[in-house]
Amino acid sequence: MSELSVSMSAAGGLPQAPVLPEAPAKVTVRNLNFYYGEHHALKNINLTLGANRVTAFIGPSGCGKSTLLRIFNRMYDLYPGQRATGQLMLDQTNILDGKLDLNLLRARVGMVFQKPTPFPMTIYENIAFGIRLYEKISKSEMDDRVEKALRGGALWNEVKDKLNASGLSLSGGQQQRLCIARTVAVRPEVILFDEPCSALDPISTAKVEELIQELSENYTIAIVTHNMQQAARVSDKTAFMYLGELIEFDDTSKIFTSPSDRRTQDYITGRFG
Amino acid sequence: MAVQSDIIDDAGPYDRAKALSAFKLGDVTFYWITRLSAISVLLILGGIIVSLIVGAFPAIKEYGLSFLWTQRWAPSADPPVLGALGPMYGTLVTSFIAMLIAIPVGLGIAIFLTELCPQWLRRPIGMAIELLAGIPSIIYGMWGFFVLGPFLANTFQPFMIKIFDGVPVLGAIFAGPPSYLSLFNSALILAIMVLPFITSISVDVFKTVPPVLKEAAYGVGCTTWEVVRSVVIPYTRVGVIGGVMLALGRALGETMAVTFIIGNSFRISGSIFAPGTTISAAIASEFAESDGLHQSGLILLGLLLFVLTFFVLAAARLMLMRLEKKAGN
Repeated sequence: MSELSVSMSAAGGLPQAPVLPEAPAKVTVRNLNFYYGEHHALKNINLTLGANRVTAFIGPSGCGKSTLLRIFNRMYDLYPGQRATGQLMLDQTNILDGKLDLNLLRARVGMVFQKPTPFPMTIYENIAFGIRLYEKISKSEMDDRVEKALRGGALWNEVKDKLNASGLSLSGGQQQRLCIARTVAVRPEVILFDEPCSALDPISTAKVEELIQELSENYTIAIVTHNMQQAARVSDKTAFMYLGELIEFDDTSKIFTSPSDRRTQDYITGRFG
Repeated sequence: MAVQSDIIDDAGPYDRAKALSAFKLGDVTFYWITRLSAISVLLILGGIIVSLIVGAFPAIKEYGLSFLWTQRWAPSADPPVLGALGPMYGTLVTSFIAMLIAIPVGLGIAIFLTELCPQWLRRPIGMAIELLAGIPSIIYGMWGFFVLGPFLANTFQPFMIKIFDGVPVLGAIFAGPPSYLSLFNSALILAIMVLPFITSISVDVFKTVPPVLKEAAYGVGCTTWEVVRSVVIPYTRVGVIGGVMLALGRALGETMAVTFIIGNSFRISGSIFAPGTTISAAIASEFAESDGLHQSGLILLGLLLFVLTFFVLAAARLMLMRLEKKAGN
């Protein structure tokens, strides 16, 4: 029970107002099913991501939350034998449409991974690389965009003197913020975070969480996390998933204080998972 | 030992010490066996160098450095005139052209196999590549002599000669007449022979790229080509260059196949469709009937190949170190 009180106090200490007004839907998931070959991994998921809101996905390992996240930008398409049915609307476009241009989709829906994944190039190039895929801009404009992106990733002050150093020379936390900056640089509409802090120390984690909050002013954010305090701290809405099903989806404060499903309560109080 | 006699009643510690000392003997033996194996490499290498130098000494004394830039090769003249320029030129040119062909094709196959190939096609192609590596070089030589040479001389060579006729530099490189035996044919055979090295090593190192790194690149909207060019190849650069070096080493020294199809002409021609010779082909075709200064000259050629290979590989290693430095870290 002590864990429950910790969770509750964390939820109580939310920096933003407890319940924001209902946001217009940016992403709408309808009757989504997902299969790894024969294995039915996601069962009939229905939810919406509000525009400029942070939505957290929690649940025990293997519950399908990362799988769900990887559908938002069709990352699963890289691997044979994985398929999704149902509807996943980004604004008015069905993402699951087979004819969709995947590269454009991934420009609209950026992703930050569990482990920092800087490309094997300089810090500057790590950012400029993504921009160059879509835009032909001059050197000075590019410099501006890179600076803006690095500021957006709360990294500018730490790297402005070594933009030509390898991206791999940064610390883990810095690398992760570089990846966030890289994602922001492409000007996406939605950003997906797949356990972005699980490889980071507490201070870096705090920085990334702060960043996620700031980013939600301009972007729609989905975050998968194992850390319930983190979900409570950064998100507006929380979805609890279990064994491939969406058990409960509600305002974060409600999920962490008075969940309506028994299993949600068991999970957030640490009885399983 | 004194400790052991103190504890007569307790057999435990005594046995343990004995067991340990038995291990110790094993350790020492193991250490010396591995050490001798390692040293033997140095001894063999040193022995080969020394015997090459001793064998080549008469030729070195006779021709000195002019051996390097003399084109004439007349072992039956009196006194014999021997120059290594022709074979050196042939060795470098055939290896260069072979790499020019084999690197893009080999990398292309590797990229296709790791990034694009449907699952069911992967094994057949992978096995074909391995089989290609297993074909003895004499078979490549015969095939090149009886099949590829006539084919190229009747189709590809006249075509290229006609296209580039009159073009300033290229016209000289692709000058006629077509020939069954030529530098280009040898280079093409060499390219086929070294292809498996480049491909199989590249495939192995491409597989070491973390999937999440590729996903990240796809995640910012890269196409497969952009992922390969900007992430996979930079990430695996060192390994790929290692494979290329191995292939280059093989191309420089390959003997049997080349001897069959290069034409064994010591005259240097600007055209790649003209016959030529390489160092190893020259040695293979003449060594059996040589004696005296001629034989010493051939051994000197062998020494040159040794040095040439060493320098090419050293230069490649240097380039690699530069690249590493430039990439940061």
